[in-house]
Amino acid sequence: MIIFETVSKIYIPKTVALKNVSFEIQDNEFISIVGKSGAGKTTLIKLLLREEPVTNGKIFFREKNIATIKPRNLPVFRRKIGAIFQDYRLLPHKTVFENVAYAMEVMGGTDYEVFRDVPKILRIVGLEDRGNNFPRELSGGEKQRTAIARALAIRPQLIIADEPTGNLDPYHSKDIIHLLEKINDLGTTVILSTHDKAVINGLKRRVVTLSNGEIVRDEQRGRFIL
Amino acid sequence: MFTYLRRTTRFGWYNFWRGGSLSLATVFVLIVTISLMASLLIAQGGVKHLIVQIQDKIDISVYLKSDLTQEEVLKTQEKLSDMPEVQTVIMVSKEDALIEFKEKHKNDPVLLESLEIVGVNPFYGSLNIRATTPDQYAAILTVLNSSAMENVVHKVDYVEKKTVIERLSKFISNVNAFGLFLAIALGVVAILVTFNTIRVAIYDSSKEISIMRLVGASNSFIRGPFIVQGIIAGTIAATISFLILFLVTYFSGDRVESITNGFNLFSWFGARAIGLFFLQLATGIVLGVVSSLVAIRKYLTV
Repeated sequence: MIIFETVSKIYIPKTVALKNVSFEIQDNEFISIVGKSGAGKTTLIKLLLREEPVTNGKIFFREKNIATIKPRNLPVFRRKIGAIFQDYRLLPHKTVFENVAYAMEVMGGTDYEVFRDVPKILRIVGLEDRGNNFPRELSGGEKQRTAIARALAIRPQLIIADEPTGNLDPYHSKDIIHLLEKINDLGTTVILSTHDKAVINGLKRRVVTLSNGEIVRDEQRGRFIL
Repeated sequence: MFTYLRRTTRFGWYNFWRGGSLSLATVFVLIVTISLMASLLIAQGGVKHLIVQIQDKIDISVYLKSDLTQEEVLKTQEKLSDMPEVQTVIMVSKEDALIEFKEKHKNDPVLLESLEIVGVNPFYGSLNIRATTPDQYAAILTVLNSSAMENVVHKVDYVEKKTVIERLSKFISNVNAFGLFLAIALGVVAILVTFNTIRVAIYDSSKEISIMRLVGASNSFIRGPFIVQGIIAGTIAATISFLILFLVTYFSGDRVESITNGFNLFSWFGARAIGLFFLQLATGIVLGVVSSLVAIRKYLTV
């Protein structure tokens, strides 16, 4: 589904964030990217979302080199990917319901679909009672569940979660990871970037370890070793 | 398309309503700008009125020789009336001048007595000439002083008024030029302040815009609500500033009328109310929308 082909990213003047990174992600896989802060996890995700261009190498999404996507087609490309971040990135002036609905409306979903699907999705993430609340009225865990609901709303082929548990206590972290596993079981590919040892060791899935911008380990049923 | 418009409008309204103090600041700045523009327009109307008032008081009096026949006087009047610079020529005959003098001084027996002692009518018939614009008096004067008029004209009462007339025409053109300069300068300042306020409001939303892009919103889907916000702010500001102007002109109308000798602010406003409202509305909406578009452009580059 996704292929990284000797990808490098250098921030001017000479900060090397990623160096000759090559790996492949299959459909329906749950893959964790681990590494210390500054190892290149976030850079890798930014490149995959084409928030930034690669310096060298190629990234393929369903056999298409994402560097060749024209700027005006970027929104369409990004609608295939649900993204979840450590800082939640919710729209502060929209309620939980509206945040989730926005993702569907962006896709051109009809009002009927929005009012049919959003309550269902909110039920899946356990926020059925919080639909009318604004993000500032939610706890960290609830904010992250809203972000996951939003990612789900577009029925993505891939979900990228960049440190989704970074701001959460262990109880809520577990909660979020369970939710991601559930989503993966339903057929969506998940990329999880984290430096949370407990999370990784509990998952028992594929782990790619980054260090100083290079892949130092890539194991099926991996563990957190740095 | 209909769904897009409906959603854009809804998002714009929610953004405006939930924007709180920033939306309020935008509306306030727009009110100041729109009111300023409208006040400049009204001030221009007032100045025009004053100028017309003053211009109406200027004329040249030509005293005619006393031995002229009625026919000769009429011919001269006709000749002057035909000049393109001349707006009106009013004839005051010797008899009219006498009656007018008597009427004016009816409470002054000494003057009236001295008139009787003289025995004959000592007044000259005269033509009061009014030019279309004050700067044309010089041209009219040249004709009056020419040899063709030598046999008709006894005296031209202009030299006394000359300096006043010249100063006045200079003053009027200065007022016009300065007024235009002031209007442009104030307009530019007001537009810049509005633009900056809206830019700050949108800067506040820059993070939101990046989130929208991440979710996959197209540029037009992001831009739309900001345009709607601009339209809402512009419309509210235009309505409020229209109401302010209405109240101000209503309550100050009489006072201004007595100061300016007949310029009634409220009736001036009333006669142009609909046009003014739409002008204010257009100013508000254009300012709001254009500032939003320019400010948001920066955040929409991929």
